[in-house]
Amino acid sequence: MNITQPQNYVSLLLLLLMLVFPVVAGSPFVYHIFILVFSYAALASAWNVVGGFAGQLSLGHAVYYGVGSYTATLLMINFGISPWIGMVAGALLASVISVFVSWPCFRLRGPFFALASIAVLEVVRLLVINQHGLTGGSAGLAVPLQQGVEWMVFRERWPYLVISFGLLSAALFVSWKIKNSRLGYYLIAVREREDAALAVGVNAVRVKLAAVIISAFLTSTVGSFHAMYFTFIEPGAVFSLELSIQIAMFALIGGLGTISGPVIGTVLVLPLAELARGWLGDFADGFHGFVYGVVLVIVVLTIPRGLVGQFGARVGALINRLPGYKEPETVQPSTSTLTHVQSETLGQPILVAEHLHKYFGGVHATNDVSLTLKEGEIIGVIGPNGAGKTTVFNQLSGFLKPTSGSVRIRTSYGEWVTPKSPAEFAKAGIGRTFQIVQPFADLSVRENIMIGAFMNTDDHVEARAIAAEVAQLTDLTDQLDKVARDLTVGGMKRLEMARALATRPRILLLDEVLAGLNPSDITKAIEIIRRIRDTGVSILMIEHIMQATMSLSDHVAVINSGSLLIEGEPEKVVKDPQVIEAYLGKEYSHA
Amino acid sequence: MEIFLQLLINGLMLGGTFAIISIGLTLIFGIVRVVNFAHGEFLMIAMYGVYLMNLQFGLHPYVAMLPMFFLMFALGAVMQRYIIQPLLSASDEIQIFATVGVSTALMNAGLMVFGADVYSVDMSSAVVGTGMTSIGSLTINNGQLMTFIVSILLIGALDWFLKYTFLGRAIRATAQHRDAALLMGVDVKKIYIIAFGLGAGCLGLAGGLMAPQYPVFPTVGTFFVLTAFIIVVLGGLGSLHGAFLGALIIGVVDSLAGYYIAPDLKEVVYFSIFIAILIFRPTGLFGAGRGSE
Amino acid sequence: MKKYVSKIKGGAVAAVALTMSFSAMADINVGALYPFSGGLALLGNESFRGLEIAIEERNANGGLRGEQIKLVKSDAVDAGQAVGAARKLTSIEGVDVIFGSFSSSISFAATQVAELAAVPYFELGAISDNITDRNMKYVFRSNPTAKNFAEGTIDAIFKVVAPTYGVDAKDLKVAIIHEDALYGTTVSQFQKDIAKEKGLNVVQTLPYSAKAVDLSSLVLRLKGAGADVVLQTSYQNDTTLFFRQMREAGFKPKALIGAGGGYSMKDTVKVVGEKNMEGVLDVDFAQYLMNEAGAPGIKEFQATYKERYGEEPRSGHSLINYSGAKIFLDALEKAASLKADDVREAVMAIDLPIGSTAAGIGAKMNENGQNIRANAAIMQWQDGELKTVYPEAAAVAAPKFPQHP
Repeated sequence: MNITQPQNYVSLLLLLLMLVFPVVAGSPFVYHIFILVFSYAALASAWNVVGGFAGQLSLGHAVYYGVGSYTATLLMINFGISPWIGMVAGALLASVISVFVSWPCFRLRGPFFALASIAVLEVVRLLVINQHGLTGGSAGLAVPLQQGVEWMVFRERWPYLVISFGLLSAALFVSWKIKNSRLGYYLIAVREREDAALAVGVNAVRVKLAAVIISAFLTSTVGSFHAMYFTFIEPGAVFSLELSIQIAMFALIGGLGTISGPVIGTVLVLPLAELARGWLGDFADGFHGFVYGVVLVIVVLTIPRGLVGQFGARVGALINRLPGYKEPETVQPSTSTLTHVQSETLGQPILVAEHLHKYFGGVHATNDVSLTLKEGEIIGVIGPNGAGKTTVFNQLSGFLKPTSGSVRIRTSYGEWVTPKSPAEFAKAGIGRTFQIVQPFADLSVRENIMIGAFMNTDDHVEARAIAAEVAQLTDLTDQLDKVARDLTVGGMKRLEMARALATRPRILLLDEVLAGLNPSDITKAIEIIRRIRDTGVSILMIEHIMQATMSLSDHVAVINSGSLLIEGEPEKVVKDPQVIEAYLGKEYSHA
Repeated sequence: MEIFLQLLINGLMLGGTFAIISIGLTLIFGIVRVVNFAHGEFLMIAMYGVYLMNLQFGLHPYVAMLPMFFLMFALGAVMQRYIIQPLLSASDEIQIFATVGVSTALMNAGLMVFGADVYSVDMSSAVVGTGMTSIGSLTINNGQLMTFIVSILLIGALDWFLKYTFLGRAIRATAQHRDAALLMGVDVKKIYIIAFGLGAGCLGLAGGLMAPQYPVFPTVGTFFVLTAFIIVVLGGLGSLHGAFLGALIIGVVDSLAGYYIAPDLKEVVYFSIFIAILIFRPTGLFGAGRGSE
Repeated sequence: MKKYVSKIKGGAVAAVALTMSFSAMADINVGALYPFSGGLALLGNESFRGLEIAIEERNANGGLRGEQIKLVKSDAVDAGQAVGAARKLTSIEGVDVIFGSFSSSISFAATQVAELAAVPYFELGAISDNITDRNMKYVFRSNPTAKNFAEGTIDAIFKVVAPTYGVDAKDLKVAIIHEDALYGTTVSQFQKDIAKEKGLNVVQTLPYSAKAVDLSSLVLRLKGAGADVVLQTSYQNDTTLFFRQMREAGFKPKALIGAGGGYSMKDTVKVVGEKNMEGVLDVDFAQYLMNEAGAPGIKEFQATYKERYGEEPRSGHSLINYSGAKIFLDALEKAASLKADDVREAVMAIDLPIGSTAAGIGAKMNENGQNIRANAAIMQWQDGELKTVYPEAAAVAAPKFPQHP
């Protein structure tokens, strides 16, 4: 992190200020508020890794919090083990549990994931109550009040403040790390478009699991700390749905998927709620709760993207006027990565599909298709709409599993492999685009391409360099900082190619990248495809625009009604009566 | 055997109560695609409403539930119009939190207005809805039986409405494909308001039917809402028959697990069923819903 | 990384909090820490009313140590909020002592804060035994604990049920049912231990969730086990539900014994119906129908309550809080100063015999600050009233069971 950047030093200063404020104020209540703010902000940040970055709305995070509380307390009571060790033990346990809890739930989206997480929380709470021999049941556990650093129980308040600040700093650091790392990009990619992420080699399940594990770990440490701070735990209080909702709400109000959002949300809402209880509580029982609910609804209605989502950019721009601001360095495109060494295996098969069959229910969508792509070659796949071209593509890139038949790829080491998942196909060297473009719409063009580049590097700078290079190749250099959703159709198609290229594929599957483009864009795209081939990439392209296919392809394959009609040189294929029949109908074939 | 039969009857009768609560939720869930966390608080309002009408005008709860249906319809429509509608294109979590906010506000409003006291409708002079019916040694609670019957009738009526009226067909079309319905000229916003109103209105009936068995207090909604969610997912998103069968299943599971396993573990049993359903058959047992969507 | 908005706002809020500390510094400030909202609101509020009456009474009679007492209410619904509330009371509000708290988990968290801040904490209602087992110097409790409750319920079998029916207590089949949160679990654990110790025949022990909406299968299990005596520890909703479904299943045990909670509440009778509650035993802080001889001042309290709040007390929680508050206020009056150590000295010097307060309890603190003269009374619902039937000194009626001719 560059400390001279205004956004960075301002953030650090404000964080420090938050730490100093209660010390200066000196009142134990202010201390308490800040201890709560720090620890809840840490919880909200931890939650944000799953709820924000990964986009999985978990309302069961109290499970991990509770595991942390109980592990530390039980180890302390039963074995006299310091809660510092218990904190780590609890966090590890929570991480393990998180894998078992989340894995099966990943296929659920939105409200269903939320409901499942609530159900898991309820089950865990009830089991903790039921297993009272082990957990003390719902009578709860009182933490022995042995004072001292090793027991995390203090007469003074500042150690609690320091610990909670430490937890928050850890959570923020982890968030910051994730956000600026390959994992962060992958999380966003999976959240936005899982298919597109798979196509650039992202193992969606592993990425989500990583997020959940990190989140559970951090959440659990705060749970352990809270047990020592409150000195009493009971299942109803720690495995509580209200707590889960509250954590998520702080993050939401601040801004999901941002680093500062969860902190800002907590800093704003928690003290207000705490004070409101004092001020409004005398008015009528429940009045503060009522106001709290109403405020939540208003916030959601007026700033659904959260404070940072709504105002972050403007505030950021203001801060950047402070001294020390430097434009991000323009990364020189690396020149080496895409120029393949003149291959010795040029012209030898690189992708072989044999006797592919695919059934959807009773429909025979792919009927005995065999294809061989040679290194350095462009094969154009043509055929009428609905002929099953994309279905073949999906089998060649792992998105569909053939009912029978095989797909083999020659790796750069010369071995032949049959990958099992889209991500493995990507890693084996297959890059693909989608007929319906799938950009990560909220990310910039650069970031879109970087997600592809991350397949071969986890270094941020290198990924930027690759992005710059690929952008040059695909004529996107001017648009690198544009948000993907603002691109033209042609731009989006090129972005599809660029993202696939960034994975440094040796085989590129292009699915109608020319469709819907205007003539000048088509010329541009054809030029780009040639350039790509010249870097040594073998290309299989589905295309409707005959002229382009004819001029680009070394070979043309015609697919009709799921089967391969003919394969051969372009001139031969166009003259084939079967092809004419397939395209224009029987009566034309003899004309 | 006799005990088993009695447990079965108890479970089915409890299921009737669950059903009347879940019907509204599955309508809202299935059509508007919003998980309404304030559903329990709507139920609370309906129960207070029935209680007040009984207290002020001496209306039998079964009579009071009719005006309550319309009042709740209005409440639901207002909620949809002014809170959910502006958020229709927002992400799931935003919608969920809006309803959580409403839930918190309403629950505390209940506390402000009525205090934490527990009120129950005085049924001592009522003839209908009280007492027991005995068949041999087996007993059935009349009030629960009534709830059971009404929930079947309600499903029949809604079924008819959705299948054979223009409005109903428009609602179904919207539920299946919002954008397509929009293209076909359906006023989706209006449909949603009606659907939400209907869903809330069903709770008006629930408030009346439950009055003889359950007292009302500010947190009464939280006693039922999670179970209702389970039932709706179990039965399949938006499926009325599914919700009914789901309610009966959960009712019977509740009853049998309470006897044969342990009363404090019965929730574990049905939450586990719920998780298993979500994971292995997210469309629900009976529905053509799209749980993993 | 734009946190500055948050910092400014956070600062503003805290600054407001600070300015609060300079206001309201007259009189003697006394904290009242109870759950006023959330699921425990009803009994939290009822408990608070007892304290409020005690303070108002004291103020009307010239105040404490010549000064008026100012009661500072603080709402906490869980442990986290309790810590905050206690912190606020001890620092910002600058209270001299705190009264609380009805809920045990709130008490656990709040007492610990008060202890570290050296502010005396008077617990008037929370029943978890180990609140006073943590070697705290400034935490005192006037009310009976879960163990006292459990002893009371077992006593009720030996001293009331068995003699009235003329049977040997050990021949009775006893079932223990309880809500599965802190309150029910704590009491029932002691019940199990004591029952075993005294050789009772416990045939079923069934926990259930207080949020259960159906207990019919539990009732069938009790019926199947042929339970003669059911000990229930419950809140209000589960009590009414249990009674309704017990009736529906035709289950009529010889005796039902509750441990306070829902069994002590007027609202329960309203919902369940007088005749259905007839003969039900309840072990709790003493309630309103006690023999004046064993509970001096109870009638006045009842009258004051009715005048102040316009309704009958909703449960005995107000009474036990009232009595406890009076005991401790007397000690504060006598203390050399309101410093924690002087307060402790004065509290430890209290020596009131059983039957000398409105709730019938006496007062004598052990080293841990627990009142060892706080016993739960055994009462019975008769004609819609909760009447004390044991111990004899406080009894206003003889026990009778409708099932027993």
